[in-house]
Amino acid sequence: MDECRVIIMGFGSVGQGVANALSMKKDLIKDKTGVNVKVVAAADSSSSAICQDGLDEKLLVETKKQKGKLSQYPEYGSDKNGEDILDAVEYDCLIEATPTNIVDAQPALSLTLKAFEQGKDVVTSNKGHLALKFREVTEAAEKAGVEFKYEASVGGSMPIINFTKDTLSSCEIKSIKGILNGTTNYILSRMTAEGSEYEVILKESQELGIAETDPTQDVEGIDAACKTVILANSLLGIDATYSDVKVEGISKINSHAIELAKKDDYLIKLIAEVSHDNLQVSPRLVRRGSSYDVSGTLNMATIKTDLADEVSVIGLGAGSLETASAMLTDLISILKTKY
Amino acid sequence: MRINLVLELMDTPGQLVKALEPVGSLGANLVTVIHKRDYKNEKGNVPVQLTIEGEHEDLKKLVTRFEELGFSIIEMDGVVLKEKITTIFHGHIVDQDLRDTMDRINDLEDVEIVAFDIKLNGEEKSTALINIEAGIGRKQSVFDRIAEIAEEKDLLVINEV
Repeated sequence: MDECRVIIMGFGSVGQGVANALSMKKDLIKDKTGVNVKVVAAADSSSSAICQDGLDEKLLVETKKQKGKLSQYPEYGSDKNGEDILDAVEYDCLIEATPTNIVDAQPALSLTLKAFEQGKDVVTSNKGHLALKFREVTEAAEKAGVEFKYEASVGGSMPIINFTKDTLSSCEIKSIKGILNGTTNYILSRMTAEGSEYEVILKESQELGIAETDPTQDVEGIDAACKTVILANSLLGIDATYSDVKVEGISKINSHAIELAKKDDYLIKLIAEVSHDNLQVSPRLVRRGSSYDVSGTLNMATIKTDLADEVSVIGLGAGSLETASAMLTDLISILKTKY
Repeated sequence: MRINLVLELMDTPGQLVKALEPVGSLGANLVTVIHKRDYKNEKGNVPVQLTIEGEHEDLKKLVTRFEELGFSIIEMDGVVLKEKITTIFHGHIVDQDLRDTMDRINDLEDVEIVAFDIKLNGEEKSTALINIEAGIGRKQSVFDRIAEIAEEKDLLVINEV
């Protein structure tokens, strides 16, 4: 039986989701690929649990939830963190789920590059290094001859990167337009349904845990702009970085704008547009009943192609298990090709 | 031969008769008329669908005659001849010379603002929805002009996707 030893770096919502999903799907993965996946290390921001013989995924999540730190993991808890983990244990694939950092892309960038240097495959949900240094990172992976997969970085569980690359491989991609941020879609949907003002719904979304305490990344379009860069590079071959995207968020949208749009049978959505002429995130008018008319925290994207015309996908853009589903799909595809 | 047209009529008595009169007098035959007065477009006009049969030359004359009579042909044989553009402005729309904003859009060739709906908010920024009709192929010139005005007057623009 082949074995794939993985390290989970970052143990917040996504990292824990990966651990949970792995414990649920281990047998299925074994059946599908003939490979046994073993978690040999998991790390949060300041500590870790490391065991070459494998850790218990459920116990990892329990330890983190109840004791706050992975160093409290029975017997195998450790104070090692960051890049040191990659030297502390033998592994095959890095599952990188640290928080996105749009200033200098760390720690994701160093971790990823180090894994490549060590000849290891990487699956990531991180947007920072992809939005700031897409080319550098993907070229490093190519040079090292390893797999680098990042489906989870855009649209959570909504299939878009692998879907477009593999399923639409006969087509040239002309443009992608979509809703790539669930928080803003939730806020705009509720403003439309209730006629309330932006500030009121934002506050409620924060109370519900849908918007962050500092909502800037979402409401000012920064998160969607990072995803725009990733799609531009990976699917349209545009050598773009974060600063190439024109960004306007939703904080200026008031109930008047929504009401006027509604009168003409339009909705206002935060739309990311990826095309050779335009990289833009901005509030746009979409027809009620069109494929852009999805509400709540859903994400969607319409891919315009030369042969198949328009193809649209919809899915949950965030969430612990949802995002983990995309990472596991990436892992399985690596197992299928390399093992 | 046969053509399908969509004409735009003003919602006043006698318009339909006025539109149909030249069909017979120019030697063409009316095949179908679909006229629903309860539907109006942004301009408050009523679109009427016509299918007309006749010789090529007569039909050409008829189309010219419609134009002379001031009926706007918005669709011919399924091909839309006028594109509709909807956009929202948000900012100090009135203080930033609303007249100038409208004129600069209307000054574009084959482009016309057909409706304008504004919500004022005291001294705060106002929000307006604008419906524009443009000839085929003119859409980009409208978007460019809108972007230019918005930049200059610090307005947020919400264009159609």
